[in-house]
Parts: sequence; structure tokens; C-alpha cells
Amino acid sequence: MRVGVPRALLYYRYGRFWEEFLTGLGAEVVVSRRTDKVLLQNGLGHVSSEICLPIKIMAGHIEELAGKIDVLFLPRLLWLEDKLYACPKMIGIVDIARMMFDGRLPVCAPSIRGDFWWSHFRAGMELCHDPVRVVRALARARRYVPVHDQAPDFPAGEKRVALLGHFYNLDDDFISRPMVDTLSSHGYRICTKDELPESVLRSRQGFARNIRWVYERELYNAFRFLADKVDGVCMIVSMGCGPDSLVAEFMREEAQQRDRPFLQLVIDEHTGTAGIVTRIEAFLELAERRRAKTGGQARAA
Amino acid sequence: MKASFPNFGYDTYALKTFLEDLGADVILAPPNSRRTIELGALHSPELICMPYKITLGNMLEALELGADTLFMAAGARKCRFGYYHYLQERALRELGKQCRLIPVAQYSPFDFIFKAMPRMFGVSPLRVVRAVAKMLAKSRLTQEFRQQLNRKRAIDFDAAERARRKALAVVEQAQTFRGIEQARGEVRRLFNLNGVVPRVRLGLVGEIYFMIEQFANQEIEKELGRMGVEVVFERSLYRHLRHLLFSDPAFVRSGRLARRYLRESPGGEAIRTVGEAVHFQRQGLDGLVHIFPFTCMPENIALEALEKLSEETGLPVLSLSFDEHTSRTGLLTRLEAFVDLVKRRKSGRGLHRN
Repeated sequence: MRVGVPRALLYYRYGRFWEEFLTGLGAEVVVSRRTDKVLLQNGLGHVSSEICLPIKIMAGHIEELAGKIDVLFLPRLLWLEDKLYACPKMIGIVDIARMMFDGRLPVCAPSIRGDFWWSHFRAGMELCHDPVRVVRALARARRYVPVHDQAPDFPAGEKRVALLGHFYNLDDDFISRPMVDTLSSHGYRICTKDELPESVLRSRQGFARNIRWVYERELYNAFRFLADKVDGVCMIVSMGCGPDSLVAEFMREEAQQRDRPFLQLVIDEHTGTAGIVTRIEAFLELAERRRAKTGGQARAA
Repeated sequence: MKASFPNFGYDTYALKTFLEDLGADVILAPPNSRRTIELGALHSPELICMPYKITLGNMLEALELGADTLFMAAGARKCRFGYYHYLQERALRELGKQCRLIPVAQYSPFDFIFKAMPRMFGVSPLRVVRAVAKMLAKSRLTQEFRQQLNRKRAIDFDAAERARRKALAVVEQAQTFRGIEQARGEVRRLFNLNGVVPRVRLGLVGEIYFMIEQFANQEIEKELGRMGVEVVFERSLYRHLRHLLFSDPAFVRSGRLARRYLRESPGGEAIRTVGEAVHFQRQGLDGLVHIFPFTCMPENIALEALEKLSEETGLPVLSLSFDEHTSRTGLLTRLEAFVDLVKRRKSGRGLHRN
């Protein structure tokens, strides 16, 4: 049986785990190719034009897989522990995938309601009907679920910027390449939220307690943690991303209070590289100037 | 206490009655206008959806009139709406406004009735229960008012607009349970149709703020009425309150009907939008108009489901997203074309003259 896993959205967090898990079930795993222009173009036809870029890309990946697979594996994250929700579009994309093919392509979509392992067990049962095998596959794949418990070092004297954004935007080269390249070519180390330990990301302190979207809470906590340790904060927001449109506002204000340059880059499928590079360079200029003013590293923490 | 809250279409009167029953001095925000939205947009993040901008504009205008306590619906789940009040409170503080912003969490009605409101107004919970009951009765009245107004508009637009003014005064003045009951009869009498039934009926579905606030949706009900179309809707404050307090049969049915397209709720009102759409299709309505704010997350998912519904059943669907830049002329042109299409389909002529 060929099981398709689209290389988009949650794949960038659980992809390795899913591949191992599905292989353990005896399935042949087909992962869609890396995002490119053609794939995005194909996706555009399937979803409304107002939807955010990562969802459009996801639609492209699903279309790419269709025809090559027998079943599409697309877990639906409703909420993680503590009733922290995923965003409406991540929940809805599964139904969109189902509607895209009129039910001709079966979709295996376990709903994750805080029960990560149990939902995967049920999905496994749907695919292979052998509980022992499913449990064994889960146990073997378990170590591929990314866990971070160590905070990275922040040596003094190093030039650093925080590149914040959803992991499915940052880890997708197609989206983040121009930003990452520009930042690192200027000698900056890029700090993202995904290298921070879970204890920091899930913290319930301050305003984070009020944020009920799981990845927004992580972003906000990462911002609070990193803001004092970096020279500037660059945030990537997909056009039409609802949660980001709110939370980024709070970050912008706090960045002002802490005197850190804050750049919000809004991206969609029409975003050109040149515009991004120009804006990042202007932003780095600000960061440089601030460094010069405060005498090298400014470390509040 | 000089209380105020953002305008909410005709249901503004129901909310006003509720606060007055609790002993608050209510200052209504001025009717929504170009200024409201410009004022709101000026102090809003650029990527936020439109209800935020209008409600913030309402708050600012109410403060100009001397309000000191603002009520705002809240309740953080998957939709952005639940988070508005954090940002709005901050925006008001930054502007140096002296006021309290009180978020009303939608999803804990009992806490609201038995704890929050009695403490705030210093009244007994029983009085709050009574006020809530009256708010329900009154929002039911406004719902009936809208239904009958829409029907009358389709038959005789000018007479409907004349009757609207009178009926609105009746609705506004109904303050007691008995008064509300009498107003229902009065409204029915004013919009009397003599048994005439509109020929073309369109279902209106979408995000609740846009369904209720007639300024936000650029008076789409009125414009469609002018074209001789009866607008049928199901979403109203009355049903929403019933849904929050106990359970609303119409919403339960929507949840059931939507399952064909959406297996899980993406949050907000998407499930209801899709459920109502399926219901309207089964009722034999001639088409659907779907309205929502630009970049609304749940409704964009619902939109895909509606497109599928349209594909499967041949029901015409027009999806309209609004922001402060939506041009009225463009909207009217699209509505006219859509109504034309629906009428032609209805008379069995099709689009081509051959």
C-alpha cells in the first residue's frame, strides 16, 4: 500500500516520525517533492485566493501526490495538551483535501485532540488492522518526535537576529531561503523558536496565558525569551494569517519597549525576493546602528 | 456608570434593553458611518479583519459621547474574534482614553449571569436572569422584524422602507415583556403582505457580525430587496444566545448537515455557515450569498465547502468578502449579475438566448 505524506505544514515537525511510523506499518511512504513554483501554482487552483500561503502550498503538495498513492495520510491537529488550538485553516485543510478529490482518494486523518499517541494508534489501525504491529511501529518511531529540552548558548560578542515565524514557513526553503540567505550573508546567527526548549515555549507566564493557539503561544514565548538576547527581531507572517496578525502586534509593541528593531515581513505567492532583501538590509542597518550605540553586545539577560 | 458597546445591527436595541435592565446608563455609539470605520482603521493593525476596525471605531465614538464603560464580546478559541478585546484595550490605553473595557466571555454564560454581572452592577442574580430573558425576547423580536422586513422589501420596496421606520420605533420602544409581545403583533401588522409570496428567494449565510451588522455588509439585504429578492437568513443574535445558554435546534441541525463537508469544526461559525447552506439548498431556495470579512479564517474554509455544494447540486453561490475598501458599485454590479442569473435559471431560460 502506498501512503502519501505531503511535505507541508505539520510535516516539518512530525515528518520523520510519520515516515518511520508508516514504514513500520509496512506501507510504502511517498513524500511529495520539495516546494517549488509549479507546485504552488497547482495548489492555487484548489483553494480560495484569500487563504494563506502555507495552505496554498499544502494544496499543491496534495495534488502532486494524487495518482501516485492509495491513501493520503494527513493528521488533523485540533488541539494539543492544555486545550491549545491549532489555527482554523490547519483544521480545515483536511476537509479541503477530502473535497478536492470527491472521495476518490481516501484520506487517513486522525484527529489529534490532546491525545497524540492514541490518535496515531487509531490511524495505524485504520491502515494495517494489527494492534501489535501498530504499537511496535509507534514505539520504534517514537524517538523521531522532536523534543528540545536544552537551550542553545548565546555567547557574547556574536551578531544575532531572531527569525520568528511558523515552522512550516521557516523550514520550507521555498519560502524562507531569501530571508535566511540575506541574514546569514551579513554574518548574523539566526535564532528560531524551534531550537528553544519546550519549557520556554509552553510557558504560561504573562500574556502568553491568554493565547489559546498553540503555535502562537510558542512564537510569543520565543519572542519574550529571545528579544533580550538578539540585535533585532524579524518576523515572517503569511498574508491572511489570522493568529499572526494579532500576536505580531503585541510583539511589535514589546520590541519597541525593549528598543529592538522589529521587522514584519508579510509574504504571499507574489512576494518577490528583491523586496525582501531590501527590507532585511534596511532592518540590519538599524540593528547595526543600535549595536554601535550600545557598545557591542547589549545583554539585558 | 455610562455604559456603551459596539453597534450590532438591529440587535443593538436588544443589548441596550439588557444593560438598562441592570441599571446602567446606556450611551449608544453613533450609527456606523464612514467616520467610524476610518477612525477604527487608523488605530488597527493592518492585517486584522474588519469587525475589529468597526468595533474599535464604535468604541472611540462612544467615548467621545461620554461613555466610561465599554462592553465587548470575547471568548478565546480558534477564531481571532475572541482576542479583539486585548488589542482594543491596549489601543484605547495608548490613546489615553479613560475607560474600562469589559470583555464578556461568550462560553461561560452561567459565570456571566451569576457572578460577573451581579458583582459589576450590584444586583441580584435573579434580576440578571430576568434581564437575559428579556434580551432573548427582544432579540427574537428583532429577528422577526428583519425576516418580515426582508420579505416585504421583495414585494414592495418603497412600502417596506416606509413601514421600516415605524416598525423600528415600535421595536425600540418595547421595554417590558408585554410590550415586546405587543410589538411583535404590531410589526407583523406593519409588514402585512396580504398573502403575496416573493418569487425569488436567496439564502444569506456567513460570519455572524456581517450577518447582523447592516453597515458592515453594505446593506446587502436592502439592496437585494430592491432587486425583488427575499433574503432568507438563519443566523441571528437570538439563535446565538439560545445556543450559548441552552441549545438551539437550528444550530444543532446545521452541525448535522455540515458533517458531509466538514468533519471537524474549524472554529468560528464555519460549521453553521455550511449547515445552513445545505439546509437552504434542501428548502429549495434559489441561491446563496455568502458574506464574510476579508481573510476570515473559518469562513474561507466554509467557502470551499460551499463551492463543493454548488458543484454537486448546481445551486448558485456568490461569495463576497468585505473590507473597508470594498466598493459599493462593484458590490452592486456583482449582486445584480447574480440576481439576474438566479432569475433566469428560475424561469428556465438559461444564460444563452437560443
